[in-house]
Amino acid sequence: MAFQILLNFFIAVIWMFMNSSLTATTFIIGYLIGLILIIMTRRFFNSRLYVWRLWSAIKLTLLFFKELALSNISVLMLVIRPKLKLQPMIFALPTELEHDWEITLLSSLITLTPGTIVLHVSDDQRTLYIHAIDVDDVDEAIDSIKNSFEKAIMEVSRA
Amino acid sequence: MKTNDVILQTTTKVVFFIIFLFSIHIFFAGHYTPGGGFVGGLLTTGAIVLLLLAFDLKTVQKALPFNFTIMTAIGLLLALGTAAGAIFFNVPFFTHAFDDFTLPLFGVTSLHTAMVFDAGVFLVVVGSAITIIQSIGGDS
Repeated sequence: MAFQILLNFFIAVIWMFMNSSLTATTFIIGYLIGLILIIMTRRFFNSRLYVWRLWSAIKLTLLFFKELALSNISVLMLVIRPKLKLQPMIFALPTELEHDWEITLLSSLITLTPGTIVLHVSDDQRTLYIHAIDVDDVDEAIDSIKNSFEKAIMEVSRA
Repeated sequence: MKTNDVILQTTTKVVFFIIFLFSIHIFFAGHYTPGGGFVGGLLTTGAIVLLLLAFDLKTVQKALPFNFTIMTAIGLLLALGTAAGAIFFNVPFFTHAFDDFTLPLFGVTSLHTAMVFDAGVFLVVVGSAITIIQSIGGDS
């Protein structure tokens, strides 16, 4: 994917030299033309088009904001209840993510959504230990994280 | 027990560059806005201390193979040289000079010899602070 972005930049720079105008406007036009060329020749690359990856990164960001709003509301509901009947819990989340940055991203996202905190990453980086404020069903909590954040991160990192 | 600091280390790798960039900005901003060699140097030290916290002493020494004692000496020489350079032009010790230059990319820039003095301060601050931390932290 880095190669595709670099190629797109090169095409844009060559376009700037062809037009002998070194301005931002020419660069953007050249970049868009390069994008069309790369989409046309997409079968020659052995990885996905980087546009899709960019798109899934945007989707991950939107998903995070949605989860942030929803879980803020649910924690607010917990806090304003007259009688606190919580069931706090520490559970292990098995993860399929491999790279360091993926695990860091996943644990940051889990920590930033209220109600859940990552306590520890196991030494083989296969398990995250998570503290949650109110859990009825462990499997459900694991599934909800796996289906939302982990899936979205894997979508971004897939080659 | 050695715990798995994957989150701390990955975050440090990103945050280090942001702090370092900010320290350079603070260093150059010093003439017209708050900032300067001292805070800039301390911020750079802070960035390196963050690296030291996330990784160990040996790794950081390998990544930044500078002799911080010599860095302090170079900083002192720079500061002294800027101050002493004035006496060659028949003006009192510590007199600074400046002029406007047209640089590529930057446009018209006012360059001042006080900045060289500030660079000396920067190097002294970074060098001495890191020397202190490394000699307290090292066990040999």
